[in-house]
Amino acid sequence: MAYTPQFYPGSTSVGINRRKHMSGNIEKLRDIPEADVVAIMGHRAPGADYASTHPPLKEMGEPDCPVRQLVAPTAGAAAGDRVRYSQWTDSMYFAPSIPYFRSYWGAINCRGCDPGTLSGRQIIEARERDIEKYTKQQYDSEMTDVALCSMRGCTVHGHSLRLEENGMQFDMLARTEMGKDGNVYAVKDQVGIPLDKKINLGKPMTEAEAKKRTTIFRFDGVPMGGKIGARKFDEAIEMTHHMWEYRSKWGYRPE
Amino acid sequence: MVTESDTESIQVEIIPNRYLMPATTQKLLNEIYGNGGITRIMVHGPNLPRSVPYGPGRGTPIEENRDLLIEVGGQVFELSVKVGRIRLELESEEYLAGLKAACERALPFSFQIKRGKFFHNRPTITDYAKFGKVEDKRILGLIDPKAKKNRLAILSEVQVTVDDKEEC
Repeated sequence: MAYTPQFYPGSTSVGINRRKHMSGNIEKLRDIPEADVVAIMGHRAPGADYASTHPPLKEMGEPDCPVRQLVAPTAGAAAGDRVRYSQWTDSMYFAPSIPYFRSYWGAINCRGCDPGTLSGRQIIEARERDIEKYTKQQYDSEMTDVALCSMRGCTVHGHSLRLEENGMQFDMLARTEMGKDGNVYAVKDQVGIPLDKKINLGKPMTEAEAKKRTTIFRFDGVPMGGKIGARKFDEAIEMTHHMWEYRSKWGYRPE
Repeated sequence: MVTESDTESIQVEIIPNRYLMPATTQKLLNEIYGNGGITRIMVHGPNLPRSVPYGPGRGTPIEENRDLLIEVGGQVFELSVKVGRIRLELESEEYLAGLKAACERALPFSFQIKRGKFFHNRPTITDYAKFGKVEDKRILGLIDPKAKKNRLAILSEVQVTVDDKEEC
């Protein structure tokens, strides 16, 4: 029987969504053109050549190494691209992907990347053409709601702040805006430099839709223990207790 | 010399569930102003920088955060924060019910009103460094001690004074 990895326990909607994000089995909701994603990332002009830090691997003549023979390099590594990043800020008000789950998604599903989770933001570093591909996947999928999530290379404040009146996550650099037609537009790149043209990111999710797709446990949404008042906690909390107990025991008694 | 009130003042904090746009802020402040009984008021929220403060885009102007003018009580001043919290001192408790009604009229979403102690009444060292000897104690607690600028607007019947000078 083929092995099916088990990613996250629990039968709550949040548990199910966490499993989806970790397994990479995520729904595609929109299609933002690649050139627009590149423009928002701001590392190179759309259509420009990729800058490189070393010659393509084929020209370099690699040493005779069994690991290198086993592992095929990613497209960016093979071409010698620079390492670049994309950084996301996801609102704690039911954004679909909270920082840890972008990292789990990256670490499990994206080759040659270095995800990092901070308190209110999440960064993935990879070779330039790889990170562009991974960023587009994140933008297009249900991991991103264009009102509650945004790419912020600096001045990332927003994750734990209240939302604005129009339901957008607060951004002091005003990188995205809500258009009169109800669509969200990116007007600046991820470090706050104005774009040549506004990029239409599409309509944001409704509050109910965001709550359905979120990966954050919240008391006013889906709590970690599952249904309030249930006789038994959800498996997610049991697993966390179990891990906590064994980690403490292992920490104190390493034998 | 400031005339002391003979009624017990109260301090309250209004916390809307969303950050307010300038138009809503103006509406709310005017409703609060119309309710009367305000000794002092402070609007609080995250800073809206006029240019990008960090990173590769440092210094790039942020046009969206400029000229956020609002008119309160017939006088115009500029907002430099995204309003998320309003602290007030009212002359007496009798104005509290009117304040709640004013918030309900102005805010299209839910809010909380808390009573408590939000302004200090003895000058701190920072206050002394900024103002010297403070005669009118109403200005205490109205200024962010860490701010480089004194963002204090004094709305009077005659004119509006915005003390926004850069401190060295």
